[in-house]
Amino acid sequence: MSTAKTALDGIRVLELSALAGAVCGRVLADLGAEVIKIEPEGGEPFRRSLPRVSTAQGEESAAWLAFNHGKRSVTLDPLTDEAGFAALCASADIVITDWERLDLDTMDRLGRIARDANPALVWCEILPFGRGGPYERYPATDTVLQALGGHLYLNGDVDLPPVRISLPVGLIQGGAEAASAALMALWHALRTGEGQRVDVSVQACIVWTLLNSTMAWQILGLNEMRGGAIRKERANRFYTRLVWETRDGFIFFGPVGGGGGSARIKSYEALLAWMAEDGFTDPILTRHDWNGDGQFFIPQEDYDAVTAVIVDFIRTKTTDALMTRAVKDRILLAPISSVAGVFDNPQFRARQYFRPLADPDRGLEIDLPARWANLSQTPLAAPAPAPLPGADTATILSPLRQGSTA
Amino acid sequence: MTDALTAVTTEASGLFAGLKVADFTWAAAGPIATKQLADNGATVIKVESFKHPDSIRLGGPFIDDKPGINRSGFFADFHSSKLGISVDMSNPDAIEIIRPLIEWADVVAESFRPGVMKKWGLDYDSLRAINPRIVMLSSSLYGSSGPWARHPGYGAQGQALSGIHAMTGWPDRPPAMPKGAYSDSVSPRYALSALVAALIHRERTGEGQHVELSQIEATAQLLAPELVAYQISGIEGTRAGSRKPGSILHGVFPCLGEERWIAIEALTEAQFAALGQVLGASEALDTARAKGLDALDEAVAALTRPRDAFALMAACRAAGVPAGVANKASDLLEDDVLNAHGHFWPLDHAEMGRLKYNGPAYRFEKTPSALRFAAPRLGEHTEAVMTRILGFDQADIARFRDKGLLQ
Repeated sequence: MSTAKTALDGIRVLELSALAGAVCGRVLADLGAEVIKIEPEGGEPFRRSLPRVSTAQGEESAAWLAFNHGKRSVTLDPLTDEAGFAALCASADIVITDWERLDLDTMDRLGRIARDANPALVWCEILPFGRGGPYERYPATDTVLQALGGHLYLNGDVDLPPVRISLPVGLIQGGAEAASAALMALWHALRTGEGQRVDVSVQACIVWTLLNSTMAWQILGLNEMRGGAIRKERANRFYTRLVWETRDGFIFFGPVGGGGGSARIKSYEALLAWMAEDGFTDPILTRHDWNGDGQFFIPQEDYDAVTAVIVDFIRTKTTDALMTRAVKDRILLAPISSVAGVFDNPQFRARQYFRPLADPDRGLEIDLPARWANLSQTPLAAPAPAPLPGADTATILSPLRQGSTA
Repeated sequence: MTDALTAVTTEASGLFAGLKVADFTWAAAGPIATKQLADNGATVIKVESFKHPDSIRLGGPFIDDKPGINRSGFFADFHSSKLGISVDMSNPDAIEIIRPLIEWADVVAESFRPGVMKKWGLDYDSLRAINPRIVMLSSSLYGSSGPWARHPGYGAQGQALSGIHAMTGWPDRPPAMPKGAYSDSVSPRYALSALVAALIHRERTGEGQHVELSQIEATAQLLAPELVAYQISGIEGTRAGSRKPGSILHGVFPCLGEERWIAIEALTEAQFAALGQVLGASEALDTARAKGLDALDEAVAALTRPRDAFALMAACRAAGVPAGVANKASDLLEDDVLNAHGHFWPLDHAEMGRLKYNGPAYRFEKTPSALRFAAPRLGEHTEAVMTRILGFDQADIARFRDKGLLQ
């Protein structure tokens, strides 16, 4: 384990979680907190969630492994061992929990024990809709929240139903949101001694991914429509192509129309220069001031005509060749990276975003997407193996129990 | 009547009351992070260059559908509770105004393409020389190092590079563009976590530091499970429409009306049985299920099509079946749950009138957040900030105007 000083050195976090709470704990552990998972005998249910991968420990959840490395694990049933749980809480700064692990009644009961034991404690709950009224008990899952948060409506091809993002984005973003909120509350607790409950609404986290949709409705009476490769972006009145097929994949690109300022103008000039080198010329390419004053009001048929020429050009290039030239000439495009594309991304690799993890108990040597920020004085903690169930029960609980009986 | 500056500096409540932030961020990812500081009581002074204002002031929707520097709802939503000053940052003498701001600040935040702050003499080493305790946040799309560091870009490129775009859509079609720019909405949560951790470290040790973040790296945290699975099993996760492995039923289905859709999930036998009851077609669903997922999706769609989406959601909820209407933006503003939270904050703006701004997704029990006033017009608080916070007098301001530093 790294011994470099970390920002949250000495901060203790308890985690009673499934996915969302684990993501929150992951952020705090990366920042240097000691994160202790409280698990039932044999481990928490989320250890077995789908999809699973084979390790020397058997079948384990990929998401569990991705978000629980570098944490500790204590076997304890807080409902039957209230004293043990209270002692842990007295030693902690933050408790994280989420609704996929605990029902609300259990949260309320444990929250009381925890906060009685430690008035400076930050008690952080990740819930589908946050706290309050009848809605706090509505059943919800990640996809339901992608829908209720307004994002799902805006994704997918127009001739098929809207689609979810095939990742539990709400739960993961809810976890990240909870980390920032818990740290704000910790800032307050460290300065004043006052702990408090913080609750996060995953629905509201999803609303935040819309960026300008609630303003577009209020100001223009406009509900945007989903699109697949082609859609009306922002406040555009015409459909723009945003997904382009390359020789071996797809890129995202908005060459003309619909905002982007001087960078978009330069990008289009660089594209035209490259196309001309390859003999792709057509009067339509320069017929409009495509990215100038009229950019929001381009006739659809003109837009379609200019993109038809660009489509043909892009199909002659590989995704790598497009990105290499784009970086050289400042063309505003990007590969639509698959999982393998993210894993091999040269920018991530150059910045050492991926950090090696050796986990001998599981027979794993993998790269984790670990360095999500660079803190000059307190670097993120280096990856360490995820705990086996109850691995730290004796070392963590024994001193607390001795303390409470002394 | 209390002006914004008085409200910020003397009447602030919230857990960051007293925290001072010099905010050079622009576009979306940076301002969304500093908005959390402002809406929790910090004094946030947004610095814009009047020759090169925040780019999203030029992004719609515009009030009355007329573009204008103080007319963008896109900009407004991310700038509640912030003061705004406007300086010609390209003028080398701008440092005369900026230096006292840096001396005053606890935090300097910026989200420019790497190199811009250095060009202005405001890179971390320069800031630290002025104010050793400063905590600086730099958030850029690709990060400040590596081969792509200086490549221009915005959030839609970010969601493509971080894997979110490829994970959206139908397996037999090109990836569908997700709305928005996921890196702009995810990365601020990570940026804020790192920034507050750095503030906690400073509180405990007195030591400032530089927090540097790549928006695509932060966003790729969402892909961590797939990246682990890919390395161990060799299987690459990809977009799967709205289906999810392990579910009995997992999809988005049509309802009565134009573009009305509902997401419904049955993860357990009990939920599937309850859904059969809600739809009044238990046997039909069992029969369709035996024929496979396509047949089941079709059968459910046929049953939901004549139903009102909101009534069906209520019936599913009562039966314990996870279900959610695919809310449109117009639905969100009327949503009972969001409104019960007070998620939307109506704020008055001199040129845009009253608009509802999005408030935080988290709630503090004892130190409530508050959106205190609407987004600043370009340079709205320049004079007030210079005289009442930075200690300049009217003669200084006249001199700066003569030099072209101020409008």
